[in-house]
Amino acid sequence: MSLTLACRLMRRELRGGLKGFRIFLACLALGVAIIAGVGSLAAGVRAGLHADARSMLGGDAEVELVLRPATAAERDFLDRSGTVSESVGMRAMARRDDGAARSLIELKAVDETYPLYGEVALDPPQALADALAKRDGLWGAVAAPALLDRLNLKPGDVLRVGEARFVLRAALAHEPDAATGVFILGPRLVIAKAALTETGLLIPGTVVNYSYRLRVPAGSDIPAWEADAKSRFADAGWRIRDVANATPGLERLLDRVGLYLTLVGLAALLVGGVGVGNAVSGYLASRTLSIAIFKSVGASGRLVFATYLLQIAALGALGILGGLVIGGLAPLLLARLLPAMLPVAARFDLYALPLSVAAAAGALTTLAFALGPLATARAVPPAALFRAPSEPPLAKLGIGVLIVQAATVIALAALVIATSSDRPLAAWSVVGALAALLLFRLTALGVIAALRAAGRPRHPGLRLALANLGRRGANTPEVIASLGLGLTVLVALVAVEGNISLILDKDLPQRAPSFFFIDIQPDQAAAFDALLASFPGVGNFERVPSLRGRLVRLNGVPVERAAVAPEAQWAIRSERGLTYSPTLPSGSRLIEGEWWPSDYRGPPLVSFEAELARGMGLKLGDALTVNVLGRDVTARIANLRSLDWTSLGINFAMVFSPGSFGGAPETEMAVARVPPEREAALEKAVTDRFPNISTIPVKDALQAVGTIVAAVATALQATAAIALVAAGLVLAGALAASRRRRLYEAVVLKVLGATRRDLLKAFLLEYGLLGLLSAAIAAALGTLASYLVVTEVMRTDWVFLPGAVALSAIVALAMTLALGYAGTWRALGVSAAPYLRNE
Amino acid sequence: MILLEGVEVTLTSAAGAVNVLRGVSLAVGRGETVSLIGPSGSGKTTLLMAVAGLVRPSAGRVVIAGTDLAGLDEDGLARFRRDAVGIVFQAFHLVPTMTALENVALPLEFAGRRDAFEVSADCLASVGLDRRGNHYPAELSGGEQQRVALARAFAAGPRLILADEPTGNLDGATGGQVMDLLFRLSAERSTTLLLITHEVELARRTGRIVELADGRVVADSASRGAAAAY
Repeated sequence: MSLTLACRLMRRELRGGLKGFRIFLACLALGVAIIAGVGSLAAGVRAGLHADARSMLGGDAEVELVLRPATAAERDFLDRSGTVSESVGMRAMARRDDGAARSLIELKAVDETYPLYGEVALDPPQALADALAKRDGLWGAVAAPALLDRLNLKPGDVLRVGEARFVLRAALAHEPDAATGVFILGPRLVIAKAALTETGLLIPGTVVNYSYRLRVPAGSDIPAWEADAKSRFADAGWRIRDVANATPGLERLLDRVGLYLTLVGLAALLVGGVGVGNAVSGYLASRTLSIAIFKSVGASGRLVFATYLLQIAALGALGILGGLVIGGLAPLLLARLLPAMLPVAARFDLYALPLSVAAAAGALTTLAFALGPLATARAVPPAALFRAPSEPPLAKLGIGVLIVQAATVIALAALVIATSSDRPLAAWSVVGALAALLLFRLTALGVIAALRAAGRPRHPGLRLALANLGRRGANTPEVIASLGLGLTVLVALVAVEGNISLILDKDLPQRAPSFFFIDIQPDQAAAFDALLASFPGVGNFERVPSLRGRLVRLNGVPVERAAVAPEAQWAIRSERGLTYSPTLPSGSRLIEGEWWPSDYRGPPLVSFEAELARGMGLKLGDALTVNVLGRDVTARIANLRSLDWTSLGINFAMVFSPGSFGGAPETEMAVARVPPEREAALEKAVTDRFPNISTIPVKDALQAVGTIVAAVATALQATAAIALVAAGLVLAGALAASRRRRLYEAVVLKVLGATRRDLLKAFLLEYGLLGLLSAAIAAALGTLASYLVVTEVMRTDWVFLPGAVALSAIVALAMTLALGYAGTWRALGVSAAPYLRNE
Repeated sequence: MILLEGVEVTLTSAAGAVNVLRGVSLAVGRGETVSLIGPSGSGKTTLLMAVAGLVRPSAGRVVIAGTDLAGLDEDGLARFRRDAVGIVFQAFHLVPTMTALENVALPLEFAGRRDAFEVSADCLASVGLDRRGNHYPAELSGGEQQRVALARAFAAGPRLILADEPTGNLDGATGGQVMDLLFRLSAERSTTLLLITHEVELARRTGRIVELADGRVVADSASRGAAAAY
């Protein structure tokens, strides 16, 4: 076989132009564009993160301490290491001077060296030091615009924080080291560190973060400095970050979002791959006669295979190129829209790696899905010339082709996994995507087998519809599989979203508390209780002790070295709230073990949340060590509890036996519920009486959760939309592939006396059935998926929502009928003569 | 039964307009059997299609069984074919996704006949295929497929049968059997038959032979009074 001959034949075959390959190109370009676009976007954001890492971290390195400032020895070490900027962060309440409005704030007190890197921008413009300075007996403050809105303040107005009064001198237009977490309840207020003591908020036990940012001399070895710091102050509880991991939370988020979107692209590519396969198969079927002629004049099967493989490769390259252009350029165009949504100034550019990954994924997908039809083409017998043109021949795929096909799929999976930042998650997701596609295909094949077995209805239109759906070589399984996949995502999404809304909008507001009260000092507890007891309408009141501590060892093994499942990692990442109780807290259910006697005063015991225990591989009797203010406390697990997180009450993962923490400073936290119209009055009453107590309105928390849910829902909607676009392409491709047959059938039926109405009815029945079958499978699997997500992941009650199912049926019918009609209306008016003449 | 007056058909293609029929006039009486002969490209198939209402003449009149086809829209023509005309093609043109019985039943079903399948079964039996009703076209030989097509053409009891080289895809012996069947069924049901053929022997079995050349009727045995001239 000569490759040049194959190339020559391929060039001649390409003279036909791109007709018949539009769907092929669209499917391929869509998947490649998404993978390339997402990859380029993530690379741009990551480059922005790294470029701004110093100013986002606020220094070359940062040492963070919770609850206590650095000791003199610690501070001395830091000062000898470079220039130090100290800032103190905590939650507090800000009130208008007249007491008419108040708000929870994220308070930050900074010293004169702040910021070490980056610039603070103020409105009206002025130097930060001037804005915070004490003038005419009052300290200055600058606040995020949201606080100005909430308290209806303008520069020059006075506000109170704790026991101190501040003049608001400017709005904070840009804060270089702004917090990047997604769950921030209060707007930022910046004051001078020297002013903090005047607020009276620095009470032992109050959650305060002390942050020491360091600017080291150029050329310093930061990792070596970190190692030195850790060895010198091993038990100090320092949390050290440097520019290499300046924003671990944000990077983790970016990784997850990037991976998720890459998987969306992969899913689109897989569904699109079905369309690629259909398009290749339809094209090659139309070339059956040419192939038979090639073979009758001496072409080998290998030459035929090589010719069309080259052609598909050439067209595939075109589709991939189109996808790369769209995916590579989209972030550059989006750059104008995105800055407002991104926490960093992304650096959008053409990045080689994501574009290469997208191109490789596109090439592998094309190969995986085109191999089958190519093998069929190779098997076309020259005898086809002697038969009336009918169905394309169906060849069984040889073992060689199957092996190559499997190898391409494995290579595709390996590519996605290898280029992902979270390989286990990527691996599971790839397996899930492939399994879903396989499940759909099998389900579709089962449904078709059932259709064939169901017998032949007498109604000619219905019979024609069923015959067309079950016809040998029909694309029905592929269409049902791809459409079903898109619809399942839609059903699951709508059902999960509906269940969340039920909880957020109806269920939670009925039983959730109105406020969390934090930083209640032990000596204020009695007065606080009395205030709430005397306040009309207060219910569900509960107050518990609260401490902060870090989980440091599991059965003596430092947590950094312990095997902790990803879903339990959050609990060891930073300081957690701890409490102790003589009795089982409300909202908890004992699953295993016994609660300690209410008068227990023995060695520390702990009640652990069952899911976390499983994630950390812990069981009854195991030892946990927490570090509270530098002191390690080791407790045995006495029992395991399950929590109802959705109660939004006080839920501590770790509840210790009384006396476990000795005399460690603690505060109290409380929840209470009042009728909505009394909420403002209660907040005022508490914060007027106790300026140091912060109130967290649950409404705000719910709103924050709602915002996150909405963002996730948008991402999922985009997924469903992309999956449905890909499915629409597959459907359109299937229609295009069967167009000739449909025209022929329409002509024969017209000759036999079928009116256009008869034909339309038969086509609509066929596409209606196709839509309904896809919708039925999607309804079943999507509902099951939503049930699993709601009960297993969210661990709450699941409600069947018929609306989701109805929506999928409507979308499916609308898609199949609209595309079906668009694809067949020509058949209704086609002239019979050309199809009936003898060749 | 068939009345053509000055029928002209012009087909347009990328290469330009082609006058396929140039003023054909022809009258065929009820129960007559007529062969259309002539070289390739003489307009035989186009004439047959004009009679079936599958192409519209650019000039002239086509009246079949008293119905002027010019007065019917596309669906009207479909109904007219359903009720009055049966067509047999060289390439059979069976619906590949339907069984033999279902193919035969189609025109009856389109006509809303409740006894469609009983009548079709009888028709299949009349062409000797009563045991092949559940087979798909691909499972039948060429001769059997053409017999199914014959059964389908006669199923609705048409007054006119149009056959376009029905033996063109069959071997001699099978073709002979099919033609015997076609003539027998036509005679039994007194159906008018218009047959296109290249075979003079076959043409001689019809009562009248019409010869076309270059889109015109150049000879008509009826006008000479004898088909024997061929």
